[in-house]
Amino acid sequence: DALLGCHRSYRSRPTHGIGKFKYLLPNEAPKKRKEKVQMKEISAGTEYQYGDVNIQMTSYDLCLVEHFAQYVHRLCNRLSIRVNESYAMPTKTNEVLFLEERGSKMQLDAVLTTHQRVVQVRGLSSTFAPILLEIIQSNQPEGVHLLVKQHTEDDFKSRLKSRPELEELLAQMS
Amino acid sequence: SAAARRPWRLFGAMCLLRLPRITQPLEKEEEEMAALMEQIELEKSLYSDHEMRKLEEEERLKRRKESLYDEDEAHGKTVIMAQDLEEKWEQKFLRFKAAPRITDADKSNDRTSLNRKLDSNLMLLVKQKIGNQELWLLPQVEWQPGETLRSTAERAMATFLGDHIQAKVLGNAPYGIYKYKFPRAIRTEDNMGAKVFFFKAFLQSSDLSQAKLKADYLWVTKKELGDYLKSEYLKKVNRFLLD
Repeated sequence: DALLGCHRSYRSRPTHGIGKFKYLLPNEAPKKRKEKVQMKEISAGTEYQYGDVNIQMTSYDLCLVEHFAQYVHRLCNRLSIRVNESYAMPTKTNEVLFLEERGSKMQLDAVLTTHQRVVQVRGLSSTFAPILLEIIQSNQPEGVHLLVKQHTEDDFKSRLKSRPELEELLAQMS
Repeated sequence: SAAARRPWRLFGAMCLLRLPRITQPLEKEEEEMAALMEQIELEKSLYSDHEMRKLEEEERLKRRKESLYDEDEAHGKTVIMAQDLEEKWEQKFLRFKAAPRITDADKSNDRTSLNRKLDSNLMLLVKQKIGNQELWLLPQVEWQPGETLRSTAERAMATFLGDHIQAKVLGNAPYGIYKYKFPRAIRTEDNMGAKVFFFKAFLQSSDLSQAKLKADYLWVTKKELGDYLKSEYLKKVNRFLLD
């Protein structure tokens, strides 16, 4: 049966290795685990450009914050501003206890979660930055706090978790 | 040639904005959309902890009434029921009173107060004397050689509102420019006309009790600008105003 004839490319056949393509791709170096990101600001005369700028949005309401962060991200895309990263900071949970001291001490609990989203932007020119800020300010939803600041190493480090065991071992070694 | 004196006189003007404090009311389509989305979400959502607890307790009550099944279930949390909590929260909510949205209705269109339209931008307009005419303008002051245009604009703000204004200027670049030529009677070789550079500042606090306003002033929205400004001036100003 010709239909069942199998023409697999054996190593002796001339068509051996016909589908290989990986040798054509450029070599990628194996990825290091820790990335050190430090960008310099360019500030020269009239062409004043800000380096990395963090736009931080905090609120108690998760949907609002996420949608607003999406809106800011898309706005930057449309205005062709380069967005480096847009990440979320870990949420902080606050427990609010009411101590009513009228006879029976009751404690009404309320659990508030604070969410924070950050959009990191690079290459804002100084003529355009105030316009962008004004647009974002006027389109802020209710209950969302906005904070725009320059990116520092501390901001980068606040995203990383410290490893106490590793630090102990290092201290023991040295 | 910086040595030759330019025939234009430079002014720096400040457009002081008070940002809206409340969101604008939704349009009809937006409201319909919001209602539809809420309904979809409600139908798709699952029960929360509080609701589960409420359902369980209702079932327990039913079982108690029907078959006196009091052995193990009475040891549960019978102190506070979910229903009671809900009622407590409802009462608290009814006690809360929101501030009124429309305060300008009370003030009957008083354009000198800052408590007017809480959902739109308000701008400061001042009556100034230019030449021999008294005009409504954004506060402006002539540029002195040796200072930046931004500081001129800030000085303009300070002359009309006093020193302790918590206003924030965002950038050093002007937002707009308006140039006009003087009427032929005053025009000389050195003084052809004037160029006015506009800057924007945002009011941080709405407390202007310390301000000593010397001239007539108004806080107006973008639509009401047309009542006060001249058409050419208005055109250039409208170019950099967001709404």
